[in-house]
Amino acid sequence: MDALARNDFIGKEEKAGAEKRPWILTRPTAKTGIVSWLTTVDHKRIGLLYGMSALFFFLVGGFEALMIRVQLAVPNNTFITHQLYNELFTMHATTMIFLAVMPLSAAFFNYIMPLQIGARDVAFPRLNGFAFWVFFAGAIILNVGWFVRSGAPDIGWFGYAPLTSRAYSNQFASDISTDLWVMGLQILGVSSVIGSLNFIVTIINLRAPGMTMMRLPVFTWMTLVTAFLIILSFPAITIALVELMMDRSFATNFFEVSNGGLPILWQHLFWVFGHPEVYILILPAMGIVSEILPTFSRKPLFGYPIVVFSGACIGFLGFGVWSHHMFTTGMGTVATAAFALMTMAIAVPTGVKIFNWIGTLWGGHLMMRTPMMFALGFVWMFMMGGFSGIMHSAAPADAQQQDSYFVVAHFHYVLIGGSVFGLLAGIHYWFPLICGRKVSEFWGKLSFWVVFIGFNTTFFPMHFLGLNGMPRRTAVYDGNMGWNTPNFIATVGAFILAIGIGIYFAVMIYTFFKGEKSGRDPWDGRTLEWAIPNPPPEYNFAVTPTVHARDAFWYEKHHQDEAAHDKEEHAAQESAHGIHMPSQSWFPFVTAFGLLFGGLSFACKDAINVFFAETLHQTGHNYGILLAIAGGALVFLGAYFWALEGPGGYHVHPDEEGSEAKGYGSHH
Amino acid sequence: MSSHAAGTIDHHHDHTTSTGIPNKKLFMWAFLASDCMFFGSLISTHLIYRLHPPPGSPSARDIFSIELTSFSTFILLMSSLLMALAVNAIQKGNVRSTRRNLLGTIFFGLIFLGCQVFEFNHFVHEKGLTLSNSIFGSTFYTLTGTHGCHVAIGVLWLTLMYIRTFKPVDADSGRYAWLTSTFAHFILFALTVVAWMYLVLHFIHTAQETGLNAEAFGTWAHENIVLLPIAVVFLIGLNLMGRARGATEFGEANAIDVEGAGLYWHFVDIVWIVIFTAVYLLEYL
Amino acid sequence: MSAVTTTTPAAVDSHDHGESKFQIFIQIAMILAVITGVEIVIVYIPIVRWVVVSALLVLSLVKFMLVIFYFMHLRWDKLFCTVLFFIGLILAGGTTLALLALFAVGDSHPLDGGVPPF
Repeated sequence: MDALARNDFIGKEEKAGAEKRPWILTRPTAKTGIVSWLTTVDHKRIGLLYGMSALFFFLVGGFEALMIRVQLAVPNNTFITHQLYNELFTMHATTMIFLAVMPLSAAFFNYIMPLQIGARDVAFPRLNGFAFWVFFAGAIILNVGWFVRSGAPDIGWFGYAPLTSRAYSNQFASDISTDLWVMGLQILGVSSVIGSLNFIVTIINLRAPGMTMMRLPVFTWMTLVTAFLIILSFPAITIALVELMMDRSFATNFFEVSNGGLPILWQHLFWVFGHPEVYILILPAMGIVSEILPTFSRKPLFGYPIVVFSGACIGFLGFGVWSHHMFTTGMGTVATAAFALMTMAIAVPTGVKIFNWIGTLWGGHLMMRTPMMFALGFVWMFMMGGFSGIMHSAAPADAQQQDSYFVVAHFHYVLIGGSVFGLLAGIHYWFPLICGRKVSEFWGKLSFWVVFIGFNTTFFPMHFLGLNGMPRRTAVYDGNMGWNTPNFIATVGAFILAIGIGIYFAVMIYTFFKGEKSGRDPWDGRTLEWAIPNPPPEYNFAVTPTVHARDAFWYEKHHQDEAAHDKEEHAAQESAHGIHMPSQSWFPFVTAFGLLFGGLSFACKDAINVFFAETLHQTGHNYGILLAIAGGALVFLGAYFWALEGPGGYHVHPDEEGSEAKGYGSHH
Repeated sequence: MSSHAAGTIDHHHDHTTSTGIPNKKLFMWAFLASDCMFFGSLISTHLIYRLHPPPGSPSARDIFSIELTSFSTFILLMSSLLMALAVNAIQKGNVRSTRRNLLGTIFFGLIFLGCQVFEFNHFVHEKGLTLSNSIFGSTFYTLTGTHGCHVAIGVLWLTLMYIRTFKPVDADSGRYAWLTSTFAHFILFALTVVAWMYLVLHFIHTAQETGLNAEAFGTWAHENIVLLPIAVVFLIGLNLMGRARGATEFGEANAIDVEGAGLYWHFVDIVWIVIFTAVYLLEYL
Repeated sequence: MSAVTTTTPAAVDSHDHGESKFQIFIQIAMILAVITGVEIVIVYIPIVRWVVVSALLVLSLVKFMLVIFYFMHLRWDKLFCTVLFFIGLILAGGTTLALLALFAVGDSHPLDGGVPPF
């Protein structure tokens, strides 16, 4: 079926010439230039927006990490102040998790997933654009602190109460750094949940004919599981943040010990979110690896149903292990044992996936291209991170490891060796599709090896640092603890890693502008995204594909007659009224801007009121709150006009070459 | 594609989606699953703190008025009924009935909100329970207040939906008036709601002090000598705007949007069912 | 596609319960009102606490299910909608229970005079 066909529920569409709508409800039509980006509803463009932002913030987070490593290169260093150090480790983690890895995953969800299911776009295109602009708003709010007196947030990425209270985290009365962190994360949460709801509806409802759930590419499955994790885990941190915000802004007592508050509640609520969050970070990368290994082994994925089922299991079990971040908080024997057992259990489906990946490679005709190198690196490095994770799951052992560099080693192995490697692999893998150019094998592999060596040099010594007692989150260490050499090695490694990332980025930028053009389907791919021209046309598929098996494109390539026949049939059905495309819109951007304005005003209300009082000599009102209300009004208006403008839409008619003649022909 | 006469749209099956479930309906159910976790976390916070109160915690039984809360619970349940009837009406293409039921839902929703405003006011001023002077106050007001915000958003949504039912068929032919009149309708509606909620709550407050008698009515009318006639004018204006002239572009095809709003509204109701039991009733044991 | 309001009688849809749905909704609403009344009365009846708590929980559950299956139409919709919602509901319920259990443990009582573990 045509995924965006007319159905009974979409309102009537525009008829050419017959109407004069109020200017504010006229849809923008720019296809190039900045307006086309601000008003885009095309999932591919939105994916690029996420990707570009993510890569930018990846560099920001990397820079923050290098500052940390320089400070820790030698004992008793005075490279930066302890205050700045606290801001750096807080922002490094927050940036990498929320502004780099998650949006990079979102970039792939947006760009690739609709193509893999044979759809023309996601279920709610304007909402998709909105999710991106809200993400952008959150990114701005989190980083505003760098430019103001309050400074960046410095309470750790997990913001434990009561450190985050006004009493302990405000260095002066109108210190808004923690408020910026709270608001930034809440807004990012809105973006993630909205985007995920969209992806769920898209995957469930917009599949091409014949694309049953068990024929979905594994990356699409992992998109679905991740989306479920997001919509079910983010509410917990939202509530925790709301409670913290109430404590800071309205003097409630959620975490205020003197009035009966229990700071441990923050830890619980945070980690109810925080643990599923780490699966949110890793599952997309696992999905990417599950596409790359089969393609470059020229074999189908080994044990597809069990890989899918394991992914779902990991997601589900991930909600039952959160207190393994709290083994040392005195929860009691029963609770500690229960969470330890659950944590050990969750290693099983993870291990199953690894065995299936090995099974995929086994007996395959391996093509050792750059994406394959990163994917293989993933399997090995993630496994190592998993081993240190299992070591954590034994609560008595964790009593020693908790809050030490052993934990830092563990999560960097799974996050860099796992998530980042997977995402870097994905960029290489899908680069020819997105940009129409092929990355040089030599430079790609060089970047891989430098990254690989730098990464291991940085983080392997940290296992020993941790077991030898070096605590986390300390700006200086004394010279006679026995930690000097590993720290120095780690810093050297960090710079090697930085060089590797630098090479990677340089290669990508060069290739984008001057790289060798790639023909269609350069890797002899197995899934539907490779069936279309590169770069893809706006409507994705000239004719909606019919799916007959898993690895739908592979099947098409090996059953050409059947594929041609399907295409003819569909073309006959679809060419009459053309392909229905969603119209662009200003309102996702406008509504998100209102959220930015309102959110920022509320977070900075103390500083705003100080500004009005001292600089403008106005003390009559709570100006911060008034500005926040103004932002809220803009959100309301943006959303209302969004509803009033209606779904819109227009038709395109691709010709044989795939170029299009746009028509506003009256429907039926 | 043929045009559809009323009644031939299958509201339970959308043939353009892989599952037959309309996209908007699927979206709404996924969102409600997420909202379960949202309220679950808030309710957990409240229950944890009620099970381990610090010394000197206020006693809920001395503060709560179970009669008021029971009344507002009943009101919300009835509003849910009217919402279900509104969806049922639009699925059969009966726009007039839809409008009546939407107005009824909005009205009952506003009564619920009014009760909550009254309750909060009473607790703060007469019972001394504030947001910040105890953990009980913090959790109670945050939990019920968040629910109240959800109700308010629902009322806003339904109001906009109600106004939407008046969009004329030829709205897109260059008649700017419909956009302006839509906004005028909305602003009038909002002013009417605010004015009358204030007047009613003020009356109740006055009656509380002097008893429910002619004297109370007189005092109240006297104190609102300006606002009361204005509010009556608003109400008349709203009534006039509520008469559709000519054919309107709202019918069975829009049922999915009313159904979506309905799902949200019913969800807010079931959350209240949980809150009523967990926050209010359990305190009496 | 015409969307003008009409008053032609509704053609039979595949469920043909147009009229009876109205009746069903009214009946459900009456049941809900009665259950709410029972809940309020029960609280004041002098019987064992755990019986009352259980009764309240059961009655709330019944109201909850009536609203979601009838008013929210899950009874007549595709099963997947029910599955989707119950995933969220069960996860929320499970997390709430786990949190209550975690905070009930003796070792985590901070202020009510519990004996510290060491």
